[in-house]
Order: sequence, then C-alpha cells, then structure tokens
Amino acid sequence: MNYSNSQFTGVSALFKIDVKLFMLVILVVITGLATLFSVSGGDYNLIIKQLIRITIGMIAMILLAQIHPDNFRLFSPFLYIFGIILLILTIFFGVGKSADRWLDFYILRFQPSELMKIFVPLMIASFYSDKALPPKLNNLFIAVVIIIVPAILIAKQPDLGTAVLITSSGIIAIFLSGIKLTHIFLGTGLVIGAIPLLWSFMYEYQKSRILSFFSPNQDTLGTGYHLAQSKISLGSGGLFGKGYMNGTQSQLDFLPENHTDFIFSAFGEEFGFIGVLLLITLYVLVTLRGMSISIKATDNFSRILSGTLILTIFLYVLVNIGMVVGILPIVGAPLPFMSYGGTSMLTVFAALGIIMSIKSHQRLMRK
Amino acid sequence: MVSKHRNEIIRKKQRFEEKTGWEDINDPALDRASHKLRALFAVAIVFLVSLFYLNHIYEIQITDHQLYTLKAEDNRIRMRPIEPIRGNIFDRNGIILAESYDTFDIIAKKENILSKDEFIINASKVFNLNKNQQEQINIQFENKKLKEITLKKNTTLEEFTKLSVDQYLLPEMELVINSNRRYIYPKAMSHLLGYTGKLSQSDFDSVVDVKDGMTHVGKIGIERFYQNLLSGSPGYEKLETNANNEIIRVLENRPALKGQDIYLTIDAKLQNYSYDLLKDKEGTIIVMNPHNGDILSFISHPGYDNNLFANGISSKDYKKLLNDKSKPLFNRLLSGQYPPGSTIKPFFGIVALEEGVIDKTNVFACTGAYKLENYKRPFKCWKKDGHMDVNLSSAVASSCDVFFYRLAETSGIDLMHDKLKKFGFGEKTFIDLYGEKKGLLPSREWKNQSKQAPWYPGETLNVGIGQGYFLVTPLQLASATSMLASGGDSVTPHLFLKSSDNNKEQTYNYNDNKTSINIDIDSLHIVNEAMWRVIYDNNVGTASHIKKIEGIEFAGKTGTAQVYNLDKGKTGAKSLQDHALFISFAPFESPEIIVSVIIDNGGSGSGVAAPIARDIINFYFKNSKTKLSKK
Repeated sequence: MNYSNSQFTGVSALFKIDVKLFMLVILVVITGLATLFSVSGGDYNLIIKQLIRITIGMIAMILLAQIHPDNFRLFSPFLYIFGIILLILTIFFGVGKSADRWLDFYILRFQPSELMKIFVPLMIASFYSDKALPPKLNNLFIAVVIIIVPAILIAKQPDLGTAVLITSSGIIAIFLSGIKLTHIFLGTGLVIGAIPLLWSFMYEYQKSRILSFFSPNQDTLGTGYHLAQSKISLGSGGLFGKGYMNGTQSQLDFLPENHTDFIFSAFGEEFGFIGVLLLITLYVLVTLRGMSISIKATDNFSRILSGTLILTIFLYVLVNIGMVVGILPIVGAPLPFMSYGGTSMLTVFAALGIIMSIKSHQRLMRK
Repeated sequence: MVSKHRNEIIRKKQRFEEKTGWEDINDPALDRASHKLRALFAVAIVFLVSLFYLNHIYEIQITDHQLYTLKAEDNRIRMRPIEPIRGNIFDRNGIILAESYDTFDIIAKKENILSKDEFIINASKVFNLNKNQQEQINIQFENKKLKEITLKKNTTLEEFTKLSVDQYLLPEMELVINSNRRYIYPKAMSHLLGYTGKLSQSDFDSVVDVKDGMTHVGKIGIERFYQNLLSGSPGYEKLETNANNEIIRVLENRPALKGQDIYLTIDAKLQNYSYDLLKDKEGTIIVMNPHNGDILSFISHPGYDNNLFANGISSKDYKKLLNDKSKPLFNRLLSGQYPPGSTIKPFFGIVALEEGVIDKTNVFACTGAYKLENYKRPFKCWKKDGHMDVNLSSAVASSCDVFFYRLAETSGIDLMHDKLKKFGFGEKTFIDLYGEKKGLLPSREWKNQSKQAPWYPGETLNVGIGQGYFLVTPLQLASATSMLASGGDSVTPHLFLKSSDNNKEQTYNYNDNKTSINIDIDSLHIVNEAMWRVIYDNNVGTASHIKKIEGIEFAGKTGTAQVYNLDKGKTGAKSLQDHALFISFAPFESPEIIVSVIIDNGGSGSGVAAPIARDIINFYFKNSKTKLSKK
C-alpha cells in the first residue's frame, strides 16, 4: 500500500488530518465560541468548559484519523452490536430528566444513542462494501432492519428526534450505496404509509411538539414559545444584526436555550442576515469538502461512509436551523460545532476523524 | 492480537466471496462513476436546501424585520406607571380635611405566574402562610376579576427589602405603592367630600379625565367634582426587563405631576360643630354667605365613614350602611326634597306685594279656617282659634295660614308659579357637586303633563302655605333665603374657594357668581322685618320663645311641613311626623350668614329647628376667626 505523499506535508502528514476541512471547521468552532461568550454575558468558565470539550473532540478526531478505514469496516458489526446492547441497557437502567437517555457508568456518563449516529452509517457502509451495487432487494431489506432496530430502541427512550436523525443517516447511506430509483419510490411510499402508525405510538409531548410546529402562535408561552422567541431574535437582527454582545433577546434571556439548541438564533440576532449567510456558507463548504473526499475515496466502503457522515453532519445543521427558523418541528437537536455541550461535539469531531482517516489512507487503485 | 484476529476475518470473507461468485463482485470503475453521480446529486440538494433555508431566513430577518423588532421591544420594555399624589383638600382657613398617603403592598401579577400550585407553595415559604391564608390566595386565583394576587397589604419598604432575599423563590412578587386617601373628619365631611375608589368601567365615559396609570378616582362629592384638578398627571418609568421580569435598568423616567390642593369655602370648625348639633336627628344644615355664595357648613346628617370607602369597603360594611334606616348614604342636602311649609311665606309675601295682590296695610281676619267654594271641608289654620286681624307682616311673623290661603286664592297658581321662580324654586342651584335634584314648583302645565289632570283651586291654597305638590331641596331653600339676606342678589352656592399648584393659584371667580333678581326693596323690608318679628315679637312671633343671642339680632322663619304618607294606618310612627324647618340670617341689620335647618320628621320648626340655627349663629359670631367680606 502506498500513500501519495505529495498531498501530505508537515503537520497534516503527521496527524493525518485534512487541513482544508479542519480549517473550515475551526472557523465554525470559533464563531460558536464567540456567540457562546456573548450569550453567557462574558462567562469565561463556560468558554473554558466548551474549549475542553472541543479539545477532547479534536483529540478523538486525530486518534480516529490514524486508524485505517479497513479496521472500521472489520469492527463495524461488533461496534453496532455493542451499541444495540447499550441501547437495551438504557431502556432498563437509563437516567435522565425527562427521558431516560443517559447511561451512568460512574466515571463516564453518556448517551448511547449518540454513538449510534456513527455506528449505523458505519454498519450500512460496511454491509454494502462487499455487496454488488446497486443493492438487491433482500440486501436493502437487511439494511432497513439495521436502521430500524436502533431507531425503535431510541424512540422508546423516548427520543424521537435522534431516532429520526439516525433513520435519516441510514437512508443517506443507502442512497449513496447506489439504490435503484424504483426502490427509492417504494421506500418513500412505505414511509408515508407508516406516518399514521408512528403517530399512534408517539407520546403526548411528542405529539404536542409537532402540533405546536404547525401553529406556533397559538400558545406563545407554551410549546410554541421557543419558536416564537427564536423568530423574534432572528427577525429583530435584520440585515447587519444588533452587534456583538448587543442582542437583547439572548442577553435578557427571552431566547430560551440560547447557548445550546438556539445558538443559531442568538448568532443571527447579533450578526444579522450577513452573518447567517456567511455561517451557512461555511457549513456548505465543510460539506463540499467532505463530499470531495467521498468522491475521491478509492473503495465503496470509504465512499459510502465518508459521504454519509458528512451529509449527516449537514443534515444535523439543517435540522437545527430548520427547527429554530420554523421550517421543522422543535426536536431538540444541537447545532454541530457550535452548540454548548459535550456529547454532540465529540460525535461530530469523531465523524470528522473517520472522514480524515479515509482521506489520509487513500489507496492507489487496484486496477 | 488484533492483526491475527483481522487476518482471520479476512480469510472468512475470502471464503464467503468464493462461494458467492464473481458476478456479485463490483466493477470498481462503475461503482466510482455511480457514486460520483449520486454524490453530485447530494451536493445539488445541499445547495438547493441551503438556498431554500436562506430564502426563509431572509423573510424573517429582512422582510419581517420591522415586525420582529417591535416584538423584541415589546419583550424587553415595560412601562411602569407612576401614580401621581392626589391633591389635598383644606377648609377656608387651611385646616386639612383630606390627605394622601402612601402604603406599600406586595403583589404578584397573575400573568407572570406560571404554576398556581408552585406559586402557593413558594409563597407559603416566603411569607410563612398558614392553611387559611393559603386558601385566601387560592380564592384570589379563582376570582377571575382580579388581575393580581395580593400577598401582603400595608407593608413597609424595610420589610419588603427583607423579603426580597427570597425573591428567587418567588420571582413574581413585586412591590406596589398605593396612594391612599385619609379623611380627617370622616362622618361630618362625608357628604361634602365624598370619597375616592378604584377606577371602574363606568368612570371611562364620565366627566373623569382618565389617564393611563390612574388607579383611583373620586367617586362622589368634592372628590368627584374636582377629580381632574385633584388627580394630577401620572408619570411612567420605561424599564428594560429580562425574561424573568427582573428589571435590568431604567431607560426613561417621567415623574408624575402632583394634583392640585383645593381649599373649600367650608369652615371646618363650624362644620363639625353643626354636625354634632344634630346628634341622633336626621336632617340638613346649610350655613352660607349670602353675598358671595360661600358655603361655610354643608351638613347632611347622618354621615358615613368615608374612610371605609377610600380603603375599599367590605360588602358587609356596605350592606350595613345600605340597610341603615337613617339612610346615611343619602345626601339629603342635594337630593332630599321637602315641602317648604311655612318657610315659603316670606317669599310668597314679597311676590304678593310686588304684584299688587295686596299692600302692607291690607288686613284679613283669621278665624282658624278658610272656606273655599265647592269644598266641603274648610282649609284650617295651624292655630285653631285663629289669629284675629292680620296684615302681611303679622301673618309672616305668626305664620298665619288663613292669610296665605286668601293670598293664594287671589293670586292664582299661574302668578305664584311664574313669580316664585325667581327665587330659584324648581331649578337647580348649580352648586359644584353632582347629584342635585330640582325640587318641584307646581303649575297647571306640570300637573297636566305629569298627572293628566286639571288644576284644582284647593291645590293653589296648599301651595300658598308650602304644602301640596310643592317640593324644595334644602339647598334651594338656603339659596332663596340668601336672596332675602343680600337684598335681592342671587349668588350661586359653591364650595370651591381656590386651588393651588406649586406656583399658581386659582381663585373662585366671584364676578360670574352674582345676578340681581330685581326685588322691590320696600317689599323686601316689610318681609325681612316680619322675619325679625318671628324671633323678637313676643306677641306673635312663632319662635319668640327661644333664647336670644347677646349682641346679635337675627331674623328667621319657622316651618312645619306636613308629611303625607299613603300608609295612614301607622299614624304616629316617626316617618309620619312633620318636618321641622327654619331659615334665618344674621345679623339682622347687615346679614353676614344665612342658616337653614331642616330636621326630618323632627316635629315643629320653632321647637326643634330654630334653636339649632340659633346655636350655629351664636357659635359663628363667637368663634369664627374669619369675618367674611360683604361684597
């Protein structure tokens, strides 16, 4: 196996990271830190905590970048089964405020559902890596089972948002694996048919969240309050924003969750539409860079995996922004690289690490 | 270890691949191309969705920018009204009658309370509430009319500061400053001053100039009539608050403008003295300057404790006042309507002289009754045996009814109605209070309209002695009396003396207050002298038995008005007793004041009302420091 050394020089060669992708992500991370600093009213403790998480995320990214993609492929079934076991454990031993999403191992406390965000695409990519593409119908069926099992377990916690996101990332993986058009139509039909069934299985608060999405103005202080305040924050920002540290909505706490799920609205309030345009452009550039790595990857596993991971990250961006601007229901999803919180930061950096591993371990063509 | 395991897996895979056959193995070039196509398709979708998102955000941030800016301002900015201090009310000598003072209440607005149960639990912790008090708060929640929960009334700033330590438990709680009203002489001044109360819906379409931030307005009395002078102008604080409704800073502050102080024409000492004279009686007293209309005493007895109303009266107290048989809430002075009885005689006498119905020398014989054609029963004089020969002067002094029956028959109702009108009977005096009644000066036309019946000659006779349909308000009677005392000047009775702001003073406009009623001076002298004889002519004067005042001579006229009641069966009950009336002015030579007294169902005017008027005149000239200008 040969590495084309010309692409890797200096630090990037040493750590096997993709400098372009990394620099773009760092820009987003800095934007996030600056916004956090503003909404917390200049709380250095908060920034230091977030910096520690970012550092841990980056270390995870660099470590994962060192591992050869073949290892991900070989270990993927074990990782997937490990994740499923943890999810089952969560159902019995899980802790949490409103839903039992967390597993507490005394020294380590985390959400197993977060692991599945990576393990599911990994499993699908690995499953399809040695199958003839486009996949046959029976292989497609197996892939659907691979996705559905963890999705149901997570929805049971109950964490509908993550369940939908994981299902979506699985669907992206299947799409990238080369699914036939007829199968796409078939799948779409199935999903639409499943909606009423899904509705009947939902909890009341999940239903009310979705209902409030369709009529947010009916109860400004109830479930629609978050969205109403989020739109007020963005809208009052205007073209140029109110200026750094000057957002009244976020500074005076009218915008709820302003350093976690609604950080985008806080950013939009202070930096205006110009800021929003630049930020979304950054996310698109991150995605483009990831897709470029995916296209240039040398085997199906690498292609499917890197493509799925970067598109999934972009999907998370879409879900978060869509939710705070009122395009999607409020499901409680963080904004990748910006929202305050450890788990999400670790997950997206880990995904980035795998993409970089694929980029840095490119093989020469076999033929 | 790991690599050995890995190799094993690879071997297994190879065996698997051998079994599945080559047709299932991919063509790398084809896969690559297919993947590229799909990746580019995904990128296209990334672009499209991004554009869709940006378009949506553009609408929020640019198209609807104004709307959301307003909403954001609405979120953070609170206008807190500052209630102005209501002006105080003084008597003519600067004695304070009504004053404003601040109290502090701790309240919580219902709109800020998210969970009722949690609120009650936390409030119990902060205020150490017992079960009963918790239930009280619950009741306040149930009452949909209440917009806020009162946690503690009449607290102090110090106490609130102490409680603020627990504000984190009860972020909804806030301190409100209430401007309260205190009446120094609650009962004696109640019908005069009235009271203030919470602004209600009915105040909006009224004379009250309702301004934002007003919570209390005058409801009745002087408080109502001069509401717009007394109230001042509310100010406001423009506050920036956060989502927890905590104040971050004050953006703007416009202080409230204090209301103006008002000085009344009332002499507080005389007022209190007069009020106490009535003791357990029901009735009215007016003391007034006949030259300029200044009212020195304004008594409707019994009064009520207007402090009860100012502090928000309980329904129990209110019911008690409503059910009180002595009707303490009824302002007799403005709204009571009484037959004038014999007090009408001086006025009728003047009219008869002026119109040439008689002259001062005409003498009639009173035999104790007067016979009218077509009437079986004769019209009786109060004196059974008759007054023998009487002229106008002695008829007034002795209050001979027969003389005035005859006068009435000769004059006729039309002349009586038209000429008595100039003394203000049947018309409002337009005193500076609301709720004044008009009384009733009967006429042919009036009877035709209201009773659909013709006027009978016997009714004319009754009007001639102030009975029948004839009704006056105590205020009208006092006003008419002042025309006798002033030599024919009609002045509008009033209570307003002056108002004072910080720098400017506004005095009552006396120039517009006086009109002449063109009275014939000779006739007036005859009648006034007759009124002097009422007190001082021991032969005929109906009130000549009363104790005189040393150094001051006064004139007056007694009246004993019969009360007609449908309920004839209960004769002897207090409500059927005659009203006692007495009108007077003093000193006789150059009158300074008029005193008018009416005692409801009090008996005779000479026995009950006249001594009260005498005591008031005595008190006035002994104690009143201000001598009034005669103008």
